[in-house]
Amino acid sequence: MPRDQYARQSLGSTYRLVKESRVLLVGAGGIGCELLKNLVLTGFGEIHIIDLDTIDLSNLNRQFLFRQEHIKKPKALVAKEVAQKFNPGVKLIAHHANIKDRQFNLEWFAGFNIVFNALDNMDARRHVNKMCLAVDVPLIESGTTGFKGQVQVIKKDKTACYDCTAKTTPISYPVCTIRSTPSQPIHCIVWAKSYLLPELFGVSEDEPTELDHSGDTDNVEEIEKLRQEAQALKKIRESMGSDDFAKHVFDKVFKEDIERLVNMEDMWKDKKPPEPLSYETLEQEASSINSSIKLDGQRIWSPAENFIVFKDSLSRLSHRLAEEQSKASKTAQPLPTITFDKDDDDTMDFVAATGNLRAIIFGIETKSSFDIKQMAGNIIPAIATTNAMVAGLCVMQAFKVLRGEFTRTRWLWLWNGSLRTDQLEKPNPECPVCSVAMGRVHVDLEKATLNDLVQDVLRTRLGYGEELTVLTDAGIVYDPDLEDNLEKKLTDLDIEDASFILVKDEEDDNPRIDLRLAIEAKKPTDQSKPVALVEKEGETLDIPRRPTKEDAPNGGDVDGDDANGSVVTNGFSIAPPTVKRKRDLVDDDAASGTPAKKLQGPVAAEVAKNSALNAIVIDEDDGTLLIADDD
Amino acid sequence: MNGEHSLPDGSLPIENTNEVPQPAVNDPNAPNFIPFIPAVGNGFVPIPDPNFTNMTLPLNGVPSQMDAMAPTQTISADEIALYDRQIRLWGMQVQQRLRQANILLIGMRGLGNEIAKNLVLAGIGTLTVLDHELVTGEDLGVQFLVTEAHIGQNRAEAALPELQKLNPRVELYTDADDIKEKLPEYFHSFDITIATGLPVDVLCNINMACRAYGRKFYAADTHGMYGFIFADLCLHDFVVEKPRSNRPSKIGDMETPTRSVTAVDSKRENQTITDIIAYHETYTPLRLANLSPLPARSRNTRRSKMRVTPLLSCLRALFDFQSQSGGHLPVIRRPADLAMFTRLANQKHLELELLPETLRADFLRSFLQNLGAEISPVVAYLGGYLAQDVINVLGQKEAPLQNFLLFDGEDFTATQYSLHPINDDAMAMMNTNGLPMMPGPVPAEGPVTVT
Ligand SMILES: [Zn+2]
Repeated sequence: MPRDQYARQSLGSTYRLVKESRVLLVGAGGIGCELLKNLVLTGFGEIHIIDLDTIDLSNLNRQFLFRQEHIKKPKALVAKEVAQKFNPGVKLIAHHANIKDRQFNLEWFAGFNIVFNALDNMDARRHVNKMCLAVDVPLIESGTTGFKGQVQVIKKDKTACYDCTAKTTPISYPVCTIRSTPSQPIHCIVWAKSYLLPELFGVSEDEPTELDHSGDTDNVEEIEKLRQEAQALKKIRESMGSDDFAKHVFDKVFKEDIERLVNMEDMWKDKKPPEPLSYETLEQEASSINSSIKLDGQRIWSPAENFIVFKDSLSRLSHRLAEEQSKASKTAQPLPTITFDKDDDDTMDFVAATGNLRAIIFGIETKSSFDIKQMAGNIIPAIATTNAMVAGLCVMQAFKVLRGEFTRTRWLWLWNGSLRTDQLEKPNPECPVCSVAMGRVHVDLEKATLNDLVQDVLRTRLGYGEELTVLTDAGIVYDPDLEDNLEKKLTDLDIEDASFILVKDEEDDNPRIDLRLAIEAKKPTDQSKPVALVEKEGETLDIPRRPTKEDAPNGGDVDGDDANGSVVTNGFSIAPPTVKRKRDLVDDDAASGTPAKKLQGPVAAEVAKNSALNAIVIDEDDGTLLIADDD
Repeated sequence: MNGEHSLPDGSLPIENTNEVPQPAVNDPNAPNFIPFIPAVGNGFVPIPDPNFTNMTLPLNGVPSQMDAMAPTQTISADEIALYDRQIRLWGMQVQQRLRQANILLIGMRGLGNEIAKNLVLAGIGTLTVLDHELVTGEDLGVQFLVTEAHIGQNRAEAALPELQKLNPRVELYTDADDIKEKLPEYFHSFDITIATGLPVDVLCNINMACRAYGRKFYAADTHGMYGFIFADLCLHDFVVEKPRSNRPSKIGDMETPTRSVTAVDSKRENQTITDIIAYHETYTPLRLANLSPLPARSRNTRRSKMRVTPLLSCLRALFDFQSQSGGHLPVIRRPADLAMFTRLANQKHLELELLPETLRADFLRSFLQNLGAEISPVVAYLGGYLAQDVINVLGQKEAPLQNFLLFDGEDFTATQYSLHPINDDAMAMMNTNGLPMMPGPVPAEGPVTVT
């Protein structure tokens, strides 16, 4: 029997839709590999796969399309090559590129029946969300973290979009906690990664996002002292390469700065004061250790071992920087720097050793370099099984999406083995992304001026009055008091292909809701008009009027009948707020008591178990645990 | 664990009953699966004491190899780098236990492919894949370890090269024998046996053979959008870490009729206190679970009954259908098959004390339509779930499946049903010497018909 025998049998008439579909898969990581396999085997007609990354050893425990010999090769290309063998009948197209590239414009997005997001960062997720909404292509959004995962279907005007719920912002720490009064391992690690390393090897003007300056005004004196300390460290940086560089650095940050802190007696009324370290003592202890032994990343190092790794990594980093600087000086490039990278052993060793030495000073528990890597690098645990389950659910949702059965799609949560379902939320009327009207314009970028857009499209075609404002990402480019730009070309205002502008109707009387217009570089068919509104046949762009206070939709009226269990633990929201309505479907497990209580259980357990996650130093990645796929 | 003589609910242990698998007598097409537990004298299983006079329970009392072998070898730096993202989730100790595990996987169709992939990626020690059938054309729609070139070759052997590429560190073996011809000793060497795609009689026999050696057993199967997983872990001890609760657990607490607390500990990290609770879980073999009622809380109100998936009745009906028809599936074009299946489904639904209106004709039709098929996203889900449960069980961390998981990919439900004999049932079961205690087929008078 043919290979599609079972799909025909099980899917019935849906199988034809599957076969004729054109889908986009964004991301060939943990979920992406699994999704691609499912899509290819099920027989989705044409599948585009896009990923910017290359393959790393730590991917191989779950990204099963990749093997040892593929390390450093582009994920998208290898994934295509391997998955094609699963079913030679489907058309696979791989893009080793960034989804935000302009070549992937609205017209390109509009060519797909479904887009699958299998991404590892919020920025790209937001971008795809916006693009799919702009061309009204359904998006199946997914993510996993350890044993947890979720799948959400996003369909314009029918369900909430990715940005309808606020996402957790990255965690940051008050400067004083990091620089003067650390109390947890993470504080010492952030100090090593975001203060010491950049001061010695980076551009110290770059403010790390992990430091929160909001409390600075309360501690003016201390902040000034800290500034002086940093200045002094810069001086020491000039002795890099000399024999006593390590001693200079050590004495500065582990002795003198600490002695200064100890003298601020007010600080240590309620806690044990820090104890400075002695370079000589540690050097003495270290001399009896065979420094050539490969230090075990799982074991917690002794002070002397940390000292050895400190000296060794400092010397490696110094040599590297010197080498790169001498190279750069010949080519007149900007001075190179070294920035933290969890997969760069030199920076990782440096952060682990200096963070631990600081922890010893403050009487804080030291950590293994394995654990420090996770905390400093924001590594999210990832396993094959959760990804496989989530990817399976994505495709089951896709069957319903292809049939247009959006009422039968669900918000799905995988929670330590149990599958929970919920109604998809209605769009949030306050959402900055999807509550606006959306339109597309074709623009002849060689000719078009702002006036062509404002007069021909907004006023003449769409009926806007005098009072309107046009904004780009950079700010206002037009309002009735700012007419200078009207004669400028759109390109001079940074309105380019694949960019968006926002139009606000400022009339007092019954104004329209905001309109987001997508700019597409394409000469309009009517040559006389350099800007033309894109409308599908038989459809006209209708921009609703802003609802008045009286008839404002009462948001959140979707079957709110379930128990209320808020799932914020330690002030750290793990899931979007909607989780309170999650219906627990593993209803036979009496172990966990009432559903509301059960919700509390695993959430808090997760926090406790991964207490490191509590204290993650988040880079640009998600703070929301549930939406992070691995890389 | 060795001191446990009775089930936590006070009933006697029901494993090791003297029941003997019954071959289908009247059907010439019955699976050629003569009770393989060697008959001694009276035809009873030789090693458990059928009269329960010896209450030391030697079988379940003997720790499996898995428990006995404390992880000794250290994991190399290369391995740590490879397994980095999972070690961060379950820790080094679990990873070491995985590496020592010896698993048997029966059936290498789509579901088997998924389970094998996940276990091999996770880094288990040894995996044996057993399948006596040959790769077919329709296999290619769901199996990613074989290609067109393999059609006609043995399924297990054909899948081996691609499976090995997923993780060269795992020791892989294939077995092209028919599982029905294996002696019970065969199952002795595996910590866990996973059986997929087999009729219920065969599953029950494998289950009892595993039990005879204190080995853990999983069964799973899929039909298009639907599927199930079953676990009989005999007696299983595991640890769960959870944040300190207001109602702390005490040793001896019965959290469910099958789960007791055996140790309580805690640890403190920064400001949070985490309880570390050790549990002991008692299991029921498939043959008994398949006859057991729903737990009280699933059937004591109309609302709770409404929530029970009709898939449970259909699955039991399918088990019986296969038992009575030599292992084959109902053929949708054969009116006699449809009538028989419908009658069985209604009967099972009534036995489960469920409401007639929850067994709808459209559901029956959909279930029958899907019979025998495998589709990639559903086997991916089931294979992911099962493999993770196996990993957790090997690592003795997290609560394992107890004991049925029913999956419905149309409705997005994956619900655990813990089906155990309640006291009276268990006693009755034992008193019948293992013969079926159910009445004969009831007349077809259910409200549901499939046309
Ligand atoms: Zn929105």
